Amino acid sequence: MAIINYANKEVQFKIVYYGPALCGKTTNLAYIHSQITESNKGELVSLATAADRTLFFDFLPLNAIVIRNFKTKFQLYTVPGQVIYNATRQLVLRSVDGIVFVADSQWDKMEENIESFRNLEENLARQGHSLDTIPYVIQHNKRDMPSIAPVHYIDFLLNDRAVRVPSVEACATTGEGVFETLNTVSRLLLVKFAREAEAAAIKSRSAAAASPMAGIAAGVRDHQSLR
Amino acid sequence: MHPTPIVTLAAAEKLLKTLEEFLDKCEGLFAMIIDRGGTILSQTGRAPETADITVLAALAAGSFAATRELATRVGESEFNALYQQGSHFHILMNAADDDTMLVTIFGTQTTVGLVRFYAARTADQIAIQMQELRAGGDDAQPIFTEADLSAAPEVFDGTTLKP
Repeated sequence: MAIINYANKEVQFKIVYYGPALCGKTTNLAYIHSQITESNKGELVSLATAADRTLFFDFLPLNAIVIRNFKTKFQLYTVPGQVIYNATRQLVLRSVDGIVFVADSQWDKMEENIESFRNLEENLARQGHSLDTIPYVIQHNKRDMPSIAPVHYIDFLLNDRAVRVPSVEACATTGEGVFETLNTVSRLLLVKFAREAEAAAIKSRSAAAASPMAGIAAGVRDHQSLR
Repeated sequence: MHPTPIVTLAAAEKLLKTLEEFLDKCEGLFAMIIDRGGTILSQTGRAPETADITVLAALAAGSFAATRELATRVGESEFNALYQQGSHFHILMNAADDDTMLVTIFGTQTTVGLVRFYAARTADQIAIQMQELRAGGDDAQPIFTEADLSAAPEVFDGTTLKP
């Protein structure tokens, strides 16, 4: 869940990279880490097995643009893709604000993509969330591989909804599409955040206007302005 | 209740005061309040030089979440404290409420018993303060609007990327 900190003048968001095993989630974070200036990134932490497979999560804290003097900060996490680590995926999804679903474009990975996507929906549901309310982007990774499914086919499998979410073609090893994905999901997040805050402010003003004390307060204000 | 938890200046001061008093009493080195997602809400003291606080918070949250899973496997709803013992530095993590925890780093100048005692009390205080924090913020104005966002073409732009 995003947190606004007035003391530090910053807003923090959590983005989780989700997807089947070996689809390139960690590679996305490694590329982002390599391209961000030192002052705007923290350490890339990988809790991996000896064989470099993600065991718990990868974590990368980033600073992004400053809006109206508030720093925006993003914490990027990956989940372990292997099926046996589902309990860990549930833990990492806790307090998530936005999701990047990394799909492996290779033909023989389609079943794993679908299984992982369903698993994401189930794990979100356990926490009372759904993909209808959380901003997310689908990344079609490994577009450089020889035997890949067309983008429209993967979209048909994973993005067949009344309102389609943005999808980005990528090759995380070379960095193609990596920042386009990150910029897309972070913008979706910021827009959602701004809309919710505006809606809350309007609701608060309406509630204040409807309260019996509001009329008295307005009267006092008018009286004072006339003096 | 505002849709996003807001740490106002007043709330930040209150949380910090609670942490400072706690650290003073238990003679610890560093203490922070984090949410279960790993975001730092308040911190005080001096962490070991090798520690990146942001990373420490993320790992602490992950570690505590894993411990919670272990607890449910043995029929407990939660282990409300987790202690990691080192040779020079030790870490104690306490659950404050469902979404917040207190992380304390201390060295050989104090004892785990003393830290535990004050940490449990402080966690209760933090829980109350967090309840107040979550209940507030109704009259908060949006810190930025969609119009502000349209002025920024990219969230990660030339100022954050290497040339």
